[in-house]
Amino acid sequence: MKPLMVKTKKWLPEQKRIGRRLLFCLMLFTALLGPQGLEAAITPDGQPGWFVDMGRFAASAHGTFSCEQCHGDMKQGGTMHPDSENPAFLKAYANREYNYQRCQSCHKPSYEQYLEGAHAKALKKEQTDSLAKLEQLPESKKAPTCGNCHSGHYAKAHLSRVEIGRKMVSVCGACHPAQAATYLDDYHGKAAVNLGDKNAAFCTDCHGAHHCLSLKDKKEALAACQRCHPEATEGFAQVVIHPTIQDLPEDDTEKRTHVALIRIVTVLMSILVILVVGFFYGHSFIWLLRELHEKLRKHK
Amino acid sequence: MSAMEKQSPETFVRFSPLQRLLHVAVMIGFTGLAVTGFSLKFSDQWWASGFAWLVGGAAHLAWLHRFFAVITYGCVVVHIIWLFYFKLVLKGSITGPQSLFPRVQDIRDMFQHMGYFFGKRRTPRFNRFTYWEKFDYLALFLGMNTMGLTGLFLWFPEFFSTLLPGYFINLAQVLHLYEAILAVALKFVVHLISTHLRPETFPVDKTIFTGKTTREKMMHEHPGELDSL
Repeated sequence: MKPLMVKTKKWLPEQKRIGRRLLFCLMLFTALLGPQGLEAAITPDGQPGWFVDMGRFAASAHGTFSCEQCHGDMKQGGTMHPDSENPAFLKAYANREYNYQRCQSCHKPSYEQYLEGAHAKALKKEQTDSLAKLEQLPESKKAPTCGNCHSGHYAKAHLSRVEIGRKMVSVCGACHPAQAATYLDDYHGKAAVNLGDKNAAFCTDCHGAHHCLSLKDKKEALAACQRCHPEATEGFAQVVIHPTIQDLPEDDTEKRTHVALIRIVTVLMSILVILVVGFFYGHSFIWLLRELHEKLRKHK
Repeated sequence: MSAMEKQSPETFVRFSPLQRLLHVAVMIGFTGLAVTGFSLKFSDQWWASGFAWLVGGAAHLAWLHRFFAVITYGCVVVHIIWLFYFKLVLKGSITGPQSLFPRVQDIRDMFQHMGYFFGKRRTPRFNRFTYWEKFDYLALFLGMNTMGLTGLFLWFPEFFSTLLPGYFINLAQVLHLYEAILAVALKFVVHLISTHLRPETFPVDKTIFTGKTTREKMMHEHPGELDSL
């Protein structure tokens, strides 16, 4: 016992206090960031970066794979990849560097749906457009490939319908924020995302997973509605689920008019509520003051 | 409504058993509607999603809301039938000075009453129903009908979108929400204060539950009606 005691250094109260404060700050920092926060901190724009957390990878759906199964022999153009001599390499978006066509070797149906869908169409348009135009676009406006929506390293398997659906709000919402916000304001979003009702529609239930249709086509929209509402007619498909003009084409005057009408009624109703409630709250409050005043005066 | 039976010289019947029953039923229905409705509207808040979880999820919340809606609107239907009975069989007046029908006098009463708030004037000699009681009644009566209509739009959107363009469902949604906010903000605060919580009546005015009121209260609150008897 004694030799050990000799080696133990006595901490001064001041050092203890500083130590405790540092520990507190560290705990607060990690609690605030959380495991997802840390990932976001090292990967700007929420894009998957070049660094892989092998612990989380091992727990993911692809966790039993070896790197080469998806990344090949890591040789591109005769040089080993990544090229540590090239300073620009780590600044590039990892997603854009990855050959997403490799996913089809295991996920054929999804890959084919993607090719038929709106995101692949946007990608094709991007490839025919000039490179200079593409450079100007922010990352959230560029056409997504597999890795933009699915995390190859961290996505978990066997998630429930509601768990997947809840993730969609942030995944789809990363590029379509107005649509995510209006969805959460709609009955579908509240029942499905907030209350976890598995019978309510998540993003892909209407827009189709991998097809990702805009549903601007009226027939497509009606078909989407009828999957859950078999009695739906053309008029029903015109119910506005996303009352926003974000990303709406200029010539879609019909929806623009509907969204404008909804906004006007919202503003008028807000004014009515504020005026009526304001008047009667004031009325009640002053009345209370008057009666209190009379009561107190009587007791004098 | 003017039929004022005298039980004893000092006690007056202000509300019939049917009116008292309807008031209790509407209280339950309205509160149930508010709780279940706002649990959906604010379902991103823990208290709302917690309540929804307690009743068994979004589908149960929706059916409970409809259950309370049927109770509440059932009261409106019974009340309308009673109004016809009162008018046609009992030969009562539903537009006279002792009725709930709005009159120009109510606006004068309101300004005079507000003058009293600031100590400038005396309280008006109110008839059977004061202007704020009329507002309480008419706002709820009209509100329940519009809420019922917009609620039906949201209950059967497939049917109503065959009659009207789809965005009318959205408009019904907006109207349903803002009217709900208006109704809850008025009933749970203004109505409670003006009938129960102000010093004159604190803590509770039992008249709506027992139906009875005293001569003293009548002289104080409804002198105009007392004169007409």
